[in-house]
Amino acid sequence: MFDIVKKKWIFLGISIALCAISIISLIVQGFNLDTDFAGGMAVTYEINEAFTVAEVQEIVDNALGNDQSPSSVQQSGNEVIVKFGFDNSLQTDEERSDFSMTKIAAITSALQEKYGTPAPAEDANAVDENSEDTAAPDASATPEASASAQPDATASATPEDSEAATAEASEAPADATAASPEASAAPEQPATGVVLKNQDIVSPSTGQELARSAMWMSILACIAILLYVTFRFEFTSGVVAVVALTHDVLVLLGVYSVLQLSVDTNFIAAVLTVLGYSINNTIVIMDRIRENTRHARKETYGEIANSSILQTMTRSINTTITTLLTIGMVYILGVPSIQVFSLPIIIGIVVGFYSSVFVSGPLWAMWRDSGVKNKKKAVAK
Amino acid sequence: MSRSLVKFAAIILVIAAILYVGLYGLDFTDKVRIPGVLDEDGITQGLDLKGGTVIVYKAQTDNPTDDNMDTVVSMLRTRLDGQGYTEATLTRQGTDKVRVELPDVQDAQQAVETLGATAQLKFVDSNNEEVMNGSDVKNATAEYGQTEQGLSSSSYYISLELTDEGRDKFATATQRIAGQSADNTNYIAILMDDQPLSVPRVSEKIDSNSCIITGNFDAESAKALAANIKSGQLPFSLEQVEVRTVSATLGDEAMKNAVTAGIIGLILVMLFMLLFYRLLGLMADIALVGYVGIVLIIISNLHVNLTLPGIAGIILSIGMAVDANVVIFERIKEELKLGKTVRSAVDAGFNRALSAVIDSNVTTIISAVILWLLGTGTIKGFGITLLIGIVVSMLSAIFVTKFLLKQMIGMNVKQLWLYGINGTRQEVGSLKGGKA
Repeated sequence: MFDIVKKKWIFLGISIALCAISIISLIVQGFNLDTDFAGGMAVTYEINEAFTVAEVQEIVDNALGNDQSPSSVQQSGNEVIVKFGFDNSLQTDEERSDFSMTKIAAITSALQEKYGTPAPAEDANAVDENSEDTAAPDASATPEASASAQPDATASATPEDSEAATAEASEAPADATAASPEASAAPEQPATGVVLKNQDIVSPSTGQELARSAMWMSILACIAILLYVTFRFEFTSGVVAVVALTHDVLVLLGVYSVLQLSVDTNFIAAVLTVLGYSINNTIVIMDRIRENTRHARKETYGEIANSSILQTMTRSINTTITTLLTIGMVYILGVPSIQVFSLPIIIGIVVGFYSSVFVSGPLWAMWRDSGVKNKKKAVAK
Repeated sequence: MSRSLVKFAAIILVIAAILYVGLYGLDFTDKVRIPGVLDEDGITQGLDLKGGTVIVYKAQTDNPTDDNMDTVVSMLRTRLDGQGYTEATLTRQGTDKVRVELPDVQDAQQAVETLGATAQLKFVDSNNEEVMNGSDVKNATAEYGQTEQGLSSSSYYISLELTDEGRDKFATATQRIAGQSADNTNYIAILMDDQPLSVPRVSEKIDSNSCIITGNFDAESAKALAANIKSGQLPFSLEQVEVRTVSATLGDEAMKNAVTAGIIGLILVMLFMLLFYRLLGLMADIALVGYVGIVLIIISNLHVNLTLPGIAGIILSIGMAVDANVVIFERIKEELKLGKTVRSAVDAGFNRALSAVIDSNVTTIISAVILWLLGTGTIKGFGITLLIGIVVSMLSAIFVTKFLLKQMIGMNVKQLWLYGINGTRQEVGSLKGGKA
């Protein structure tokens, strides 16, 4: 019979090594944080003209100017994703939101200048107007802002030339028609020029808050699980279960850090899923240990743990397979955004299988057996 | 035997009916109906599937009170409605943030900034003294037309209806200001968040409960401003800390791929169970179909906001759903190998596996509940679908599969091979000889 508990140092050694690599990598190079976390802008444009990434990169860099952290341009099909960060000198949320609006408008108009606009001339004018505004500190790139910026000018240039503006108490002049001809300019355009398809603007504080809330959720989950397992089993099992969990999450984080895979919001959901699910196998093994302990006479804790692990082995393998079958299909067939979400779950399930089968049982046995030895020592004294 | 057969057939029919309702819904009358996922109103798609814009605003003040934030939410609601975004959903996030979701809106640049503005409307005189403010305004509407007689061109302007108090204030002030024409300071500046909108000259006392604001407006900015004035002044300004837009085509494709992945995943899991556990597996497969049906009914009737990770959660839960069955079946096989009869092995298997099934699911439920309650956006959506998936799958494994197996035994199906055991009982028994 294969004895996992006796060979525990091999398995524990692998785990310790993996955790050590993970911790070192996390400290040394950290994560490749996506816009979600690092804060910044990610704007997707559809360009219906021939273009090269280098060309677009140059246009983007010019539009952004010098006072700018580096931007990146990625191509997928006829779409480009432009990413750039906030200027470090920006202190307040207001400055940052103005900055992002201004810069995105600048990039959009620069790209449209080169590759053409999708909409009728009217819209193009609107865009030009916006980009002119970018010089003014307070003006942000929306038509509203430019509308309010203009009266500003009138106000400072003495009130005389405000003939157009009247507050003559009035019966509202002429029958106003609410119909707005330009308002509905958007629908169905032929696929030409540059279209802004997606934009994500995330302030850096958002990412920090997200990371903080994820950490709290993890800690809370660990405490809740520890309490539940202690209540249903005993404290040793609870601690072992949480150790196995921490191991799974740590190795998962390590994989993402070592390979520098991009980390976004969905990664947090995935990690928390792993937190909840990878413990499944551990619990089933603990359940078997609990049962076998009741019937045990002379066996050591090591023997009990080992037979419990082996008795539940087929089940551990089969469950892992069925879960991998479904989430694996999601990964294979899914669009990138869902792949980003399913990959960490796949990694977590595999790591979770390993830690449940090869780590949690031996750990439990070590702890219990050391308890026995201590008792014996105490008796001997 | 015949009774078991009838019960067996009955539950298969029930499961088929559940799946049918889950997919196509059930219409008793036009109004009394259960929508299925394939119905128009079946699935409440999250923004990442439907396309649209998410804006997260943060209060620009330290420690806003709960009341303040609630006021902000209800005022934003009014502003959104005023601008025609009636489909928008608003949720508070954390202590100082509000999340606005605008489905189907791709270009929300306009909305983004005006929505968060304080909308502090002030009328001041040349000494910068307040004459009147937003609270004196009863109603504000955006209109289009000539703002002055004799002016040939039309433009957008905002028409204000003043309260009685406002009318008095305005009358008094205009009388006073009109008297200042000598030194050319007879004007009133209309300020929005301290930005001048227009600076009209006052030549006589104005005693009327309506007045207009002109400025460089277009249709949308006029409408937005009117909505802001009407909804009143926010206790503090809001800045967007997050703006995301998703195009609808992206969501469409994602949805299609995810559904295909789900169906293939489901078939693979069913085949796996059938090959590995044979008759037991078949029972689990039948229960699994019922499980899928129930989950579909729940998500289309509780109007769960289905996000992309949420769909992944449902698909993942299909893989997890058979877990309870695997635990139970492995236990039944062990009992059979010990030489028990099929009937007592099934009973013992269920009883002994029950604690493992419950404990392992509860730990996952703990995580799902935390995601659901504390998560935001897509994470929240994932938490709720995961939670539904686990609870339903646990119940289906425990009750439905057990019921089905009982009927099998009732029909006298006792060949060990069908229960996933190869070889004769003796061989199997001797294999396990060393067990304590």
